[in-house]
Amino acid sequence: MGRVERSYSEGETVGPLVKEITQEAINLFEGSAGHSEASQFTDEEAARETLGTTGTVASGRMSISFALELMRRHFGGDVFNKTGMVDLRFIRPVRPGDTITFSGEVTGVSREANGLKVNVKIEAQNQRGDTTGVGSGSAIVPNAYLPPDE
Amino acid sequence: MVESDNRIPLDWDALEVGETFEKFEYTLTQEMIDEYRRGVMDPEAAFPTISHKVDVRQFNARYSDNGSVNARCAFHCYNSPVPGKKLTVTAWVADKYLRRGKNYIVTEAISVDEDGRLIDRVITHELKQPWEVGKKWDG
Repeated sequence: MGRVERSYSEGETVGPLVKEITQEAINLFEGSAGHSEASQFTDEEAARETLGTTGTVASGRMSISFALELMRRHFGGDVFNKTGMVDLRFIRPVRPGDTITFSGEVTGVSREANGLKVNVKIEAQNQRGDTTGVGSGSAIVPNAYLPPDE
Repeated sequence: MVESDNRIPLDWDALEVGETFEKFEYTLTQEMIDEYRRGVMDPEAAFPTISHKVDVRQFNARYSDNGSVNARCAFHCYNSPVPGKKLTVTAWVADKYLRRGKNYIVTEAISVDEDGRLIDRVITHELKQPWEVGKKWDG
């Protein structure tokens, strides 16, 4: 895919990105790193003992993965995978059966030595409208990816 | 046979910010990447390293405690890891703080591949009273 030139402005919408959380997905996420022992993410008894919850929860790092996808789709992998970041606080547990919607809004742009830094406010909500995570992200878009007058 | 636990019981007060753990290495395989991408339902997901929890791995190998829950996490992307390449991780205790009577520990790690490419940087704030989750949301 060729380089896409585009501009960025405060207030523009990022996303949304919708994810349906299943225990199978959580198990794959944990298993991908070789975490095979029972944990609060994969085993209800372990979750009860460690967290005091009635069921398993998804790792906050799954939400980080989804926030990375939200941002990568907006900026493109060429840019985001080299200059991007996300920073989330986890407000409520995400559980199997939840549908989580990640959305963002550009809050500002500023000139950096290596391009235009675009800051984004990020929020994740479950199917009940409760916020599960909130934070920010950014990417530095090289001048070569911006329109000439940017 | 029961393995002995040589870990040190965590003493939050004595824990020193700046403590850096022994480097560790692992090879990211295509199978790991594929499984991660199925888990996050994103065939283009570029940083499967996030599921390896590398910033807390060496901490958990050194200290024993009552578990933890992730309260905040930041992830910085520099270069997508290449399957089959060995990654070297350096992790350290970046900070610790007490908030509303609860203890938090901040760990940080950077990953570099065998060609010297900086891959990513992850910073995690862990609440060391994980049962607070059940008390707050299932109580």
